[in-house]
Amino acid sequence: MPIGQRVVLIGGGHNALITAFYLAKGGFKPLVLERREFVGGGAITEEFHPGFRASTLAHTVGPLRADVARDMQVEKFDCQILHPDPRVFAPAPDGRALLFYNDHAKSAGGIARLSAKDAAKYSQFAEVLEEIAAVFGQLLSITPPAIDKPTPEDLWNLFKTGRGIRSLGKQGMFNLMRWGPMAAADFVAEFFETELIRAVIAARGIFGTALGPWSAGSTAVLLLRAAADPHPVGSAAFPRGGLGALTYALAESAKQAGAEIRTNAGVQHIRIKDGAVAGIVLSDGEEIAIDAVVSGVDPKRTFFKLLDPTSLDPTFAMRIRNVRASGNVAKVNIALGGLPSFPALDANESILKALSGRIHIGPEIDYLERAFDASKYGEFSAAPYLDVTIPTILDPSLAPDGKHVLSAYVQFAPYKLKDGTWDTRRRELGDTVVKTLAAYAPNLPGLIEAIQVITPLDLETIYGFTGGHIFHTELALDQLFTMRPVLDWARYKTPIRGLYLCGSGTHPGNGLTGASGANAAREIIRDLR
Amino acid sequence: MSQHYDVIVIGGGHNGLVNAAYLAKAGKKVLVLERRHVLGGAAVTEEIIPGFLFSVCSYVVSLLRPEIIRELDLPRHGLEILPLDGTFSPMPSGNYLWRMNDHAKSIREIRRHSRVDAEAYDEFSKMMTPMCRFVKPLLSMVPPDPTTLNPKDLKQLHFLLQRFRSLSSDERYTLVQLMTMSSADFLDQWFETDVLKSTMSASGIIGTFLGIRSPGTAYVLLHHYMGEIDGAFRSWGFSRGGTGAISNAIASAAREAGAEIRTKAPVAKILVKHGRAAGVVLQSGEEISSSVVSSSVDPHLTFEKFLEPSELPADFLEGVRRYKFRGSSGKVNLALDALPNFKCLPGPGAHLRGAISISPGMDYMERAYDDAKYGHYSRRPYIDMVIPSLTDPSVAPPGKHVLSCFVQYAPYKLAQGNWDDQREAFGDNVINTIAEHAPNIKNIIIGRQVLTPLDLEREFGLTQGNIFQGELSLEQLFFLRPVPGWAYYRTPVRNLYMCGSATHPGGGIMGANGRIASQVILKAWNSAGSRAKAAN
Repeated sequence: MPIGQRVVLIGGGHNALITAFYLAKGGFKPLVLERREFVGGGAITEEFHPGFRASTLAHTVGPLRADVARDMQVEKFDCQILHPDPRVFAPAPDGRALLFYNDHAKSAGGIARLSAKDAAKYSQFAEVLEEIAAVFGQLLSITPPAIDKPTPEDLWNLFKTGRGIRSLGKQGMFNLMRWGPMAAADFVAEFFETELIRAVIAARGIFGTALGPWSAGSTAVLLLRAAADPHPVGSAAFPRGGLGALTYALAESAKQAGAEIRTNAGVQHIRIKDGAVAGIVLSDGEEIAIDAVVSGVDPKRTFFKLLDPTSLDPTFAMRIRNVRASGNVAKVNIALGGLPSFPALDANESILKALSGRIHIGPEIDYLERAFDASKYGEFSAAPYLDVTIPTILDPSLAPDGKHVLSAYVQFAPYKLKDGTWDTRRRELGDTVVKTLAAYAPNLPGLIEAIQVITPLDLETIYGFTGGHIFHTELALDQLFTMRPVLDWARYKTPIRGLYLCGSGTHPGNGLTGASGANAAREIIRDLR
Repeated sequence: MSQHYDVIVIGGGHNGLVNAAYLAKAGKKVLVLERRHVLGGAAVTEEIIPGFLFSVCSYVVSLLRPEIIRELDLPRHGLEILPLDGTFSPMPSGNYLWRMNDHAKSIREIRRHSRVDAEAYDEFSKMMTPMCRFVKPLLSMVPPDPTTLNPKDLKQLHFLLQRFRSLSSDERYTLVQLMTMSSADFLDQWFETDVLKSTMSASGIIGTFLGIRSPGTAYVLLHHYMGEIDGAFRSWGFSRGGTGAISNAIASAAREAGAEIRTKAPVAKILVKHGRAAGVVLQSGEEISSSVVSSSVDPHLTFEKFLEPSELPADFLEGVRRYKFRGSSGKVNLALDALPNFKCLPGPGAHLRGAISISPGMDYMERAYDDAKYGHYSRRPYIDMVIPSLTDPSVAPPGKHVLSCFVQYAPYKLAQGNWDDQREAFGDNVINTIAEHAPNIKNIIIGRQVLTPLDLEREFGLTQGNIFQGELSLEQLFFLRPVPGWAYYRTPVRNLYMCGSATHPGGGIMGANGRIASQVILKAWNSAGSRAKAAN
């Protein structure tokens, strides 16, 4: 096929924008079609209350993969990433608290007040994660191998990975094999005795998933994230101006590279002819001729909503139908008249600094597990696990002077409720979050000027995540790597000629790293050339 | 100091006895030492209540390896397996699900609940067959070490990879799912009928501290499904005279081959001389020397009780301490005056001859697990019941019956109180649960025996009451069982071997562990080093 052909990308999320950038660089003519009036997908900044802007959904970066950030030069398009330190503040109900800094020694200092043993283990744990990240980091940037006819590149990648794994030594290798399928609760217990530190770290294994810390396999998710950021508590960075500033920069960078971007351009239908893509029909009826289509939206939407399922091979359709993609996360954004005060912070602590990163609410393993239990029976957690940021501390531009924005991921909130609907219970969820926060910041309720509750249903209707899953499909042992989205089709291609996937539902998915988008671009370019 | 043996086998459970039988058949001078007055370990029949023979712990024969039955000629030694036909699941709604060994009948029964499930069930069985065929050879192999570049291991790993690649795409898809998913998620893809899914998923949690929604349980489902695969008879059934009869048959085969078996001979310590196992010391103080010691008891007892920490490498000991037992089940054995009468299908009948499974729904099963997670026995537990006396009248007086109830969950570590205080409450709770389906149960009980995880530990030496000598969780299977790097029946102490359920391929009355271990021991024996040693 000739270079210069028209490739349409469906959805203007961060992955699609990254794919568009690389396609343009590769000499293609990418056209990004975004249903909403702005690009960004799950990474956007919106005014949710007059004068108050927030990263409405995603509120921290993955982090963005280094080579992507470099190639797309995001900082050139005034996207300035802020790196809070400490990264995480974790209060406990008993008034104790932990602060996790970039500097492990400094974090250990605080941990020592709870347990000398854990303080000693902390940096050792950090090293373990760094070792694993060194080996797995590159696994995130490769295309999952073809099992039947591995390409020379597949074999080379596997060889490199194998060599990397061997470098961990016998014990290290066995540990990897043990840890992968293990429950995160067991994993952290191998290192730490303090519930608070166990909970903060184990939470990385359950964020955005339908797993509790006692669910086997949650360690695999934790390690997957550690591969992107080996810091024990993960990333807390976010751009000035909110996550929208990042996707804005990605869009500008893609445009400059030659990509075209159209907003308010919802795709109605992908036209298929003789097993190949033949065209795109927009909601307003407009037809676009194309040579190839790259879908940045989730697999279920791509195959069951955007095209005629009868054009799918039944086995493939069955596998896509079996993909678990039922969301368990809600988001609550709160406009605050002032900064909430957390008694758990020592007076001598620089309060502002301490609250500038993520705030982890979920003090014990069992607290997290009980929060998960409710969701198994179609209830949202009475005492949810919260991942909170107050971005206005480092970025006052998001709110009127002296006022603040608090943004909280809420787990667990199942897409399918047993009683009532999300529209009737939206308010109840907001109240639950406020009540939960008030236990740690008693003055918070008095400061509230407005609350925005984004339910799993909103994630489907407004953001377009089928089933309301923020990572498009569930992150679990059986839906990772060569099984993401489904076995035999984990290489960004699909059974339909000219149709590709580049979204979070492909390897490695998970968080704002842009890895899926970058990997997909590589495969698509190779395939179309 | 008494005479010298070639091999001393610690523990007279089914694996210890199988191990001894094979070693004796190979001409070795073997001594089996059993702590209790009766052989069989957890595969034992005891007359707890006069006239009633209880298969106290393990109550059905599932996976006993056909090659062992054949090679040890167990039928000649009195082994007789009687069929256990079907699984009957009463439902609170007054309905029930009754699957039988007759596939066509089961499908008709399932169609009562759902047409699509009836069709899916056929598909499902067709798909599970190749899955079992894939896993079966793994059950009789020594796991390879994936961390070495040693040609033998690489060859085995290559063999496994090729086997995987030789599967069809659909088979691979299912196999990968079985290895990684929860039994609930796995079955959700196939079926819609709640009671069908919950009853099938139950076999995915047995012997684990996991719920049906925990990833990894789909593998355990397969592990138990395998029994059903080679047809009704040899697989799922009772042994005449209770499961103890299996142990006795194996023991008789071992004796015939020349093995010596002593009961009431509790081991206190394994003798180690110059880094080599040299025999054992009994609690009586008696010292018995041997060239090889083969332990069928679990790693905690073998390495933390019978050996000194100084005799083991630190990282190995750490692995042993890390090994998860987490007993999660109890057992209630009842002597009955008459048969239980189920509301949903009153009166006696064939439905009482099979397994009776109290597993009315997925949420029921998961809530049972939730209770256990926080240190309480399930308020409404999963119960797997059998009435062997219907198939084998010899185990109860005429007209009377034995009801054996496997109960999950019963966590070894309770959040409040201890098992000695809660034993009877636990037993009552089980009977109340049964009474919800068969109200007459309370009036027909002549006597009962309640076994908590603590009792399983005390009585049968199962650490933390785990019936499989350690959890069947993914991180404790195949080359990771029991300790990564030591999944080859060998131990860091030369001439000390493991042959119990804590080794690959794990628990259930399979005997594979004892058989493979005997091969490993004989191989080492015949290698030059051991021959020299055997000589001195």
